[in-house]
Amino acid sequence: MDQNETVLRAIMSDVLGLGPARAAALTADSELFGALPEFDSMAVGIVLTELEDRLGIIIDDDEVDGELFATFGNLLAFCRAKQGA
Amino acid sequence: MTAELCLSIGSDLQGPRVVFVPPLFEEANRLRRTLVLAMHALAARGIASLLPDLPGQNDSLTATVDVDLDRWRGALADYVAALQAPVLMASVRGGALVDDRCGAAAWWRMAPAEGASLLRAMLRTRVAGDREAGLNSSSEALLADAAHRPLLLGGNLLSPPMVAQLQSASPSVTTPLRTVMLGDGPDDLAGTPLWLRAEPGEDAAMAEAMAADIALWMQTCGLI
Repeated sequence: MDQNETVLRAIMSDVLGLGPARAAALTADSELFGALPEFDSMAVGIVLTELEDRLGIIIDDDEVDGELFATFGNLLAFCRAKQGA
Repeated sequence: MTAELCLSIGSDLQGPRVVFVPPLFEEANRLRRTLVLAMHALAARGIASLLPDLPGQNDSLTATVDVDLDRWRGALADYVAALQAPVLMASVRGGALVDDRCGAAAWWRMAPAEGASLLRAMLRTRVAGDREAGLNSSSEALLADAAHRPLLLGGNLLSPPMVAQLQSASPSVTTPLRTVMLGDGPDDLAGTPLWLRAEPGEDAAMAEAMAADIALWMQTCGLI
């Protein structure tokens, strides 16, 4: 598990209140926005800002669309691309 | 300042007072329950504590659009001066942006936040909500608009001065100051960042750890 994945799972646990076990069980195909009731527009705002603060990246409004939050895998791939990993 | 409500626990106890400054806006609601548990844990150690409402927040009758960070700084300073007791300021997240003008004996901050970071999270929530409703919206356009008229973010109507001050506000240096972060490290406080949580929660173990850490810091500073 790289740093991006560790940080992303921690943010999912913190923001959505999933707890470590449910956060650890997320797979690339796990659906987020629209599938998890906790994942609403407020959670979107908090997740993006926490990603910026904890990964040291800047996320532009234009980079955010429905696809980004469709699955855990999409979000992780986005973080890795931003990090240039 | 207009009279504001204040939660007081252990008011019959002698000695110094701990004044809690909660996180700002929605984050305050998510942490309030655990803050109150920490106040009870302090009282169990013989330490009195207070949680005053900032004007425009919680049960305040002041409109949120009429306040800004400078007004909160002044309100807290007046409040602490009126206590006429040695005070330890205990601030969480955005509370650390407004605790610096108080004539306190010492400061304790948990997970202090930058104003710009708090503002960005609220802007994004607004943009995500707008786009879900099929509206064209961006943080940039909302910020440009907020220079001239109040901006509604997460149910809070923020004035142009409030938005401008948030954009540049950082927790300022006060002394003596202890800053604790949440985490698993040896210097960290064990707990959950409930202020991020989509659904309200509470963490009694964290409240206990906060009270223990505050009491130890008060001892170090010679307050108790």
